[in-house]
Amino acid sequence: MRRQGVVVPVRILAVSAVMLTVGLIPPAWSGEAVTLRFSNWHLVETVWGRSLREAIAIFESQNPGIRIAPEPISYAEKEPRYQAECAARRMPDVVKLHNFSLTMFFELGCAADLTPLVQKEGPNFLKTWYETPIKSLTYRGKLLAMPGDFMSMVLIYNRELFRAAGLDPGRPPKDWTEFLDYAKRLTRDTDGDGRIDQWGFSIPASKNPGLPLRIAPVVWSFGADFLTPDGRRSAMDTREFREAFTYIVELATVHKVVPPGVTTFGPGDVRTQMAHRRVAMKMGSGWSYPIINDINPALKAYDTLEAAPVPVGRKQITMAWLSGWIMSPHTRHPDAAWKFIKFLTSKETEKKFFFDNRVISSRKDVNTLPMVQTDKFSKMIVSQLQYARLEPLIPEWPEIFDAFATALQEAIIGAKSPDRALADAHARVNTILGAR
Amino acid sequence: MNTAGGRFSPASHLCGAARRIARIPRPRDRHLGYVFIAPTILLLVVVLAYPAYQSVHLSVSPRGGIGGPTLVHYVALAQSDLFRQVIWQTAVFVAASVAAHVVLGLAMALVLNRPLWGRTGFRILALLPWVVPDVVAGIIWKWILNPLYGVLNDALVRLGLAANPLEWLTNPSLVLPSVILANVWRGFPFVMIIFLAGLQSIATELYEAAAIDGAGSLQRFRHVTLPGLRRVFIVALALDTIWETRRFGLVQAMTGGGPGTLSEVLSTQVFKQYFQFFKFEFASAMAIAMTGLLLVVSIPYVRMIVREE
Repeated sequence: MRRQGVVVPVRILAVSAVMLTVGLIPPAWSGEAVTLRFSNWHLVETVWGRSLREAIAIFESQNPGIRIAPEPISYAEKEPRYQAECAARRMPDVVKLHNFSLTMFFELGCAADLTPLVQKEGPNFLKTWYETPIKSLTYRGKLLAMPGDFMSMVLIYNRELFRAAGLDPGRPPKDWTEFLDYAKRLTRDTDGDGRIDQWGFSIPASKNPGLPLRIAPVVWSFGADFLTPDGRRSAMDTREFREAFTYIVELATVHKVVPPGVTTFGPGDVRTQMAHRRVAMKMGSGWSYPIINDINPALKAYDTLEAAPVPVGRKQITMAWLSGWIMSPHTRHPDAAWKFIKFLTSKETEKKFFFDNRVISSRKDVNTLPMVQTDKFSKMIVSQLQYARLEPLIPEWPEIFDAFATALQEAIIGAKSPDRALADAHARVNTILGAR
Repeated sequence: MNTAGGRFSPASHLCGAARRIARIPRPRDRHLGYVFIAPTILLLVVVLAYPAYQSVHLSVSPRGGIGGPTLVHYVALAQSDLFRQVIWQTAVFVAASVAAHVVLGLAMALVLNRPLWGRTGFRILALLPWVVPDVVAGIIWKWILNPLYGVLNDALVRLGLAANPLEWLTNPSLVLPSVILANVWRGFPFVMIIFLAGLQSIATELYEAAAIDGAGSLQRFRHVTLPGLRRVFIVALALDTIWETRRFGLVQAMTGGGPGTLSEVLSTQVFKQYFQFFKFEFASAMAIAMTGLLLVVSIPYVRMIVREE
């Protein structure tokens, strides 16, 4: 009796242990097809999601031994989730991240070293890509991600609203003085009820990873920068930075050419406003037109919207968007994951992504194709790549930009004067960098 | 089979079973009890004790994890103006939310405890906000309060109560009250349900006796209802305070702690420090401080409950 009382739980534990061990055996060992977990924020978007699923189907048909399990994730959720999954060694096998947070993932060891895999492909393998993306994704001598989209930020505007405001749609604003003048003229009461219902410009000024892309070009073009050239101190106390900051704040507070509630807007809100003719100008890139078209097909976005260079201040400059495909450092199928990354970054797939989503590739051989060169948006975005620069590639960048965004919001809502808000941000950034 | 005189006898059968039970060597078999509760204990250790230990360990680790234990993150917290501001905002958020939950929850419970036509339907309706997930409630309220498309502004302007749409989530003096308003809507049904259960446990004879003694409805409420609800009131207050201090999804979805840091609460700050700035040690220190505060808040309630029992 006593013996039986001990034997039963021991048997249960033994059976559980065997079941657990069997469950942990990689499918490849048991001769089954390899399943790769693939996470990407585009999977939740209609246009991009469809394109990616089609690409996955093509890959699976070409590689019958590999199955891709898509894991959709929201744009804002991806960093926290991947970071937690990486800590638990459960990060999806392949994920996409963009420049904003790539360095943090490199620093945390959440990206597999692709250098040996690339070397196996031959010495000329990487020559197909632009140099800037490859350099940016190389951290401490190791290539930790393969480049995805590489685009410059441009000014997107509605030609019909320009015409209705008496502006020449073929002549977008060239500098920031002209931009303000245009924005004022485009801020109007269109239905005559005495209330403004159309605004010249909109920007996603909530704290979101899309804000630096839209704000940094303005700051840089005023000749300012967030950090000193050595990256060790804040440069937010310069005259140029104050000018840029005040200019942006006054668009909302003095000139009122942006819609009310701007500090709550995310990129999706601004696209919706443009899709419904509530705003005439916004910062955007290759993704703008297909998404806006999807929100409101009646706008006929391809005909109605135009792209122009970011207005010029002291210098002509814009910001580059760069995304990278990361392989989990804990993947159990590195060869299959590399095969999938190679497929995602191949000329054929990048051509498909351009055709479906109008995103510009970081491959030179795709951007010289006639389909890219004849598209009015893509042509403009590719032409501006020469003026584009990336965010500072330091792990502290998200917190540094948060300090700036906090100051921007405080100044816009009047909680602090622009000078006070900027001085506080400057001090906070120096504290952040001082803690290195 | 037990038989008496060759026939089955229930009494003798039971006696036989009792004898068999008595024969079980109990002291030894007590160990079997540990085996049975082992999975639960293991689960608690895995999901509670280990993460708690890790958080404490992380909070006293130097940045990057190299070096011995340090209190540097707690010192940084104590010196942080932002942390003090966040503590104050969290206190305002929790106090206002819990107070409104109690008042509104009690009022609704009193109404729904009366014999009304369609009472079950009203009870289900009143519960709906609590069923809505936190983040979804935040998104709903963000749209309701939207200055361009929001239904609340539209109603106010149409009714002539406001000349222009109000900037609920960007006006420094309106943002925190707006988030609290949304949180009151979302959270009052929980308190209401607790009070409703409490009201139904009060014996009707007490009301009848009070009525015979000439007590009016206000006196019955003061001398019968309120004392009868004392215990559930303590439970509701304790649980609601703890939950509202941890509230994250609603605030994050509505404002993300902004504009600036005006609606930042402890949970959103911990999230930012950990998942956005990747300052694991500092975020852990903040989380431990938050846990400490919650313990301080909950100790008096727990003591009262223990005393009550």
